Amino acid sequence: MVADGPGRLGIGIGWRHELDLSIARLPGVDWVEVVAENLHAGHLPETLLALRDRGMPVLPHAVSLSLGGAEPLDTARVEQLAEVTRELGAPMASDHVCFVRAGGLDSGHLLPVPRTREALDVLVDNVELTQSIVEVPFALENIAAVLEWPDAEFTEAEFLRELTDRTGCLLIVDVANLYANARNLGTDPERFLDEIPWERLAYTHVAGGVERDGVYHDTHAHPVLPEVLDLLRELRRRTEPPGVLLERDDDYPPDSELAAELAALREAVSP
Amino acid sequence: MTSPRERLAARQAELLKALLAGGDAPAGFATDRLRIETNVLRNKRSRLVAFLRPDLAEALGDRFGALFREYAASNPKTDAIRARAYADAFGAWLVERGEVPKPRSRFGRWLRRN
Repeated sequence: MVADGPGRLGIGIGWRHELDLSIARLPGVDWVEVVAENLHAGHLPETLLALRDRGMPVLPHAVSLSLGGAEPLDTARVEQLAEVTRELGAPMASDHVCFVRAGGLDSGHLLPVPRTREALDVLVDNVELTQSIVEVPFALENIAAVLEWPDAEFTEAEFLRELTDRTGCLLIVDVANLYANARNLGTDPERFLDEIPWERLAYTHVAGGVERDGVYHDTHAHPVLPEVLDLLRELRRRTEPPGVLLERDDDYPPDSELAAELAALREAVSP
Repeated sequence: MTSPRERLAARQAELLKALLAGGDAPAGFATDRLRIETNVLRNKRSRLVAFLRPDLAEALGDRFGALFREYAASNPKTDAIRARAYADAFGAWLVERGEVPKPRSRFGRWLRRN
């Protein structure tokens, strides 16, 4: 199964309750993405429905499906995502290449999976089950990690290519996560960009972060670094991304600062 | 005989236990990386708990982070408790320790929820 993409999206921003009034009046917002777990079908926020009713694409993005987890997939969570996706009239839905639950514990944050054949098989099974429940194309995003599993059999790009080949899923490429991994794990983001199957790209994520005690933290609470914008330009040299999304989750700046960041993203991907 | 999926489940459980519940470092992982990840996970959870219970964050001020890390080290969040109930359980732990006073209304809310 090869999934169609969401089509041309343009420049977007992560919808958050704290930003809802800003988003409605910010110039240059073509679409929004919303964390699926923060929504309840039948009780979507009025301000979000208003955007949808204006014809703005509103795409749900899940964080808790634990698709890389080897325990049985919690299909109730997938059903919830499917319901929210339907209500939003969204052309696609997504989560991450990660796991968040194992052995009864809940990490509350995205953890990497081993890049092995065994872990790939599990991920593929979970993604296929998810695709059978969610009625629209499904995408997976690369995460920021501060540790790696031993014995990797694939590079990250090879792993994602295998995943897309076997499931037909789309990709969300987060360039801030590529930057974080380069800083924290010493990975090569340009090699990732060279190897990724761009025909599967749904859109790209960009966010800010900060270094503390020698570790780069992908906080979504700081300005976007120039180095991350450079990676977005590197991505643009290889493909024209259907969409670019700014994620800001905390320490919300004034509207003027958000507008300037959105304009910088637009500039970075303009031909 | 265990299946590949069961083997991976066991390795993932071992990693999470090492990160959140004081378990031994799994073979092949750098201990400094595990420690950094533990801090990342606890800080992330701490911010969510502060968001869900701003009254606790306000009452504790600068002490919030250290007290939460102490709580989380012996009470990692399981998949059997919802995020808000977990934040409330931290609040109950603080009351028990005498770190915050015991407001009747909040206790009533806590009782109704549990």
